[in-house]
Amino acid sequence: MNTAELLERESFVELPARARVERLLDAGTRRELVGPFERLSSPWLAKQDIVTQADDGVIIARGTIDGTAVVVAAIEPAFQGGSMGEVGGAKIAGALELAADDAAAGSPVVPVLLLETGGVRLQEANCGLAAIAEIHAAIVALREFVPVVGVITGPVGCFGGMSIAAGLCSHLIVTREARLGLNGPQVIEQEAGIEEFDARDRPMIWSLLGGEQRTATGLVDARVDDDLTAIRAQIAAAVTQEPGPLHRTADIATWEAMLDHIDPAERAEAGDVRAAFARYFGGCHD
Amino acid sequence: MSGPHDTRNWNTRGEDKAERLAAAAPYLDGKLARRESIADVLYACIRSHDRVIAEGNNQKQADFLSRALADLDPERVYDLHMIQPSVGRPEHLAVFEKGIAKKLDFAFSGTQSHRIGALMMDGTIEVGAIHTYIELYARLFVDLTPRVVLVAAFAADREGNLYTGPSTEDSPALVEAAAFSDGIVIAQANRIVDDVSGLARVDIPGSWVDIVVEADRDFYIEPLFTRDPRAITPVQIFMAMMALKGIYAEHGVTSLNHGIGFNTAAIELLLPTFGERLGLRGKIARNWVLNPHPTLIPAIESGWVESVHCFGTELGMEHYVAARPDVFFTGPDGSLRSNRAFCQLAGQYAADMFIGATLQIDPDGNSSTVTESRVSGFGGAPNLGSDARGRRHATPAWANLAAPGDRLGRGRKLVVQMVETFQAGLKPTFVDQLDAVKVAEKANLEVAPVMVYGDDTTHLLTEEGLAYLYKAESLAERRAMIAAVAGVTPLGLAADPATSARLRAEGKIRLPEDLGVSRTEATRSQLAASSIADLVDWSGGLYEPPARFKSW
Repeated sequence: MNTAELLERESFVELPARARVERLLDAGTRRELVGPFERLSSPWLAKQDIVTQADDGVIIARGTIDGTAVVVAAIEPAFQGGSMGEVGGAKIAGALELAADDAAAGSPVVPVLLLETGGVRLQEANCGLAAIAEIHAAIVALREFVPVVGVITGPVGCFGGMSIAAGLCSHLIVTREARLGLNGPQVIEQEAGIEEFDARDRPMIWSLLGGEQRTATGLVDARVDDDLTAIRAQIAAAVTQEPGPLHRTADIATWEAMLDHIDPAERAEAGDVRAAFARYFGGCHD
Repeated sequence: MSGPHDTRNWNTRGEDKAERLAAAAPYLDGKLARRESIADVLYACIRSHDRVIAEGNNQKQADFLSRALADLDPERVYDLHMIQPSVGRPEHLAVFEKGIAKKLDFAFSGTQSHRIGALMMDGTIEVGAIHTYIELYARLFVDLTPRVVLVAAFAADREGNLYTGPSTEDSPALVEAAAFSDGIVIAQANRIVDDVSGLARVDIPGSWVDIVVEADRDFYIEPLFTRDPRAITPVQIFMAMMALKGIYAEHGVTSLNHGIGFNTAAIELLLPTFGERLGLRGKIARNWVLNPHPTLIPAIESGWVESVHCFGTELGMEHYVAARPDVFFTGPDGSLRSNRAFCQLAGQYAADMFIGATLQIDPDGNSSTVTESRVSGFGGAPNLGSDARGRRHATPAWANLAAPGDRLGRGRKLVVQMVETFQAGLKPTFVDQLDAVKVAEKANLEVAPVMVYGDDTTHLLTEEGLAYLYKAESLAERRAMIAAVAGVTPLGLAADPATSARLRAEGKIRLPEDLGVSRTEATRSQLAASSIADLVDWSGGLYEPPARFKSW
């Protein structure tokens, strides 16, 4: 890439969530649902002396991408680490349920989820978890009809219950800086000890949870650079893809066979994980 | 021929040196010491109360030798007077805790700043002074001449020739002070080669070096100047935009030094974007006195930078620097030659501007990074951040600051403090009295550790506005200008609105809107690189960041 190209390249990660939505959708097609002027902010954060945000850190918008009808749900990582509270979670779950109704009625709308999130918002505990469970159920129902596209790009990564949502997506797109994991590094270190997982060892963390590794093990479908044009093109291709016959999360027999042969007492390195996935799920993608 | 004083022995130091080296001889093969005998070599060469330099630089650390020094028996060697540009290793302080050393003269303490503060307060360390680098080197040739100097090199040969390469830093100045005063120079090297043909180049000649030893592991280098663009905030970008318009473009600043922080990293990353749109390429920021900051890569690649002379190196930048010899000072072997003494001189006499940040500023504009729990020292900042009163050549930026109607044509260096009005934890940057004053009392320092004096500060930039302090016509007016940009800190709230309005009308302070800088435009999308990975892309893969900065 030459100097001019580097200067012209526009970072997707650097855009705030609402700007991401605006730039992904075809010009003039954005219609925000439960926008900030509805003032649906978290009732729980205020009680804990935490400043709320009028959209609770989640932006929902209808529109089209290269003519395909979509609903984009974008999580704002700058607000409370992209955590899922009751309101933000309900906004995503509600959007997915409306999309399911549309699909059943024969006018499909493809959901695109921008998943920059640390998982459940601890201050809202079960209310957030309940919303995440609704999101999971809605994705599983929807992906029978339309592709459900997940995107993880930035340094926050996608963790906790929302990593399960990412895993359930029929098509998952990541950058190499993205991380995908059930527990975040600090949580693992806190629970299992620094010998098991040193949360400051960045090369180790990315070697296990990073975008390249998740692509190599087939848990994601496409890896792109942090470039608005490239990411939009990848999403545009994904929203028109026919759902595959058997989603990887439905292939339970293969997972069980694989897990039977993994000894959790052994500390797995990145290469071991790739080899295990290759053995049961076929060749590496990357 | 004999003189009137021929009964006096004029060579006591030379004879003393010969005695010490003779005592070390059993452990030496020529100049090469056996690694396992390093303690015996040090016992032979170092006597109690000696002035000893352990090379701790801003980046490079002679850590094999400083660990060996800390392992000596304080019954045999005690009360040393340590002289160190930088106190950066735990063992540098262990020598004081064990009683091997008592007194310390230094310039910077970086990672040890909390511990050194505690040891100063409880009297374990008796501090001579907290210097600026070049001041400390100068004293090596006047009243702090060292008996023994311990330095580090990438490679040495058996004759003592040293290859210090990209990490030359302070070594030549430190070695010279001992080599020409009958002191003893001991160098650790990552590897020893048979003769000079095995060295990429000679940075320090062998005749200046008495003893070489192969270290047990490569010397430690602190990657002190790597700033991850991910951590740059929109407020810093906003201030950087104000700086470029209100200072760089306003005064036509072509030669400069940048401080270590994220504020100035933001400026470096705005040159190819915001700066380019202002049409400033070639007009500002051409000649740099600077470590090889990774965040300067996009500006270099887009043709902004004519030259960079470096104090030291930066981990991971070696291949990039070697591939840009037109920009960086490199040796015949292709690698960087850094030299802190010359670079500090360049920053003092040849750079038009110093711009940096601080933790505290008092109502008179004095600033310091020393706080009650943290004695960091200032390294080169007091030197770079002061007017060079010996300067006699004019450049447009320097001349631009001359007093109106001054028939002598005496200009000034631009010294800019760029700070947010509040630090982390909502501590106001603007305080009634610097913590440095109390620290000086508690630690028995004769001089309060002020980093940049108020009368040297020509510009004060906050997120509220830009004060052209050099335009102040009285001390009272300068105080009013400082208060006018101090935001909602107690000092700022006490500012008189009518006075602030007058200062603004007179162009002595300028608000963002006066400069045409909009808060809504100050987004991270303005940065030419927003992550370490972007910097690697800009370098064409030549920059190899240390693992701890990688997020992929």
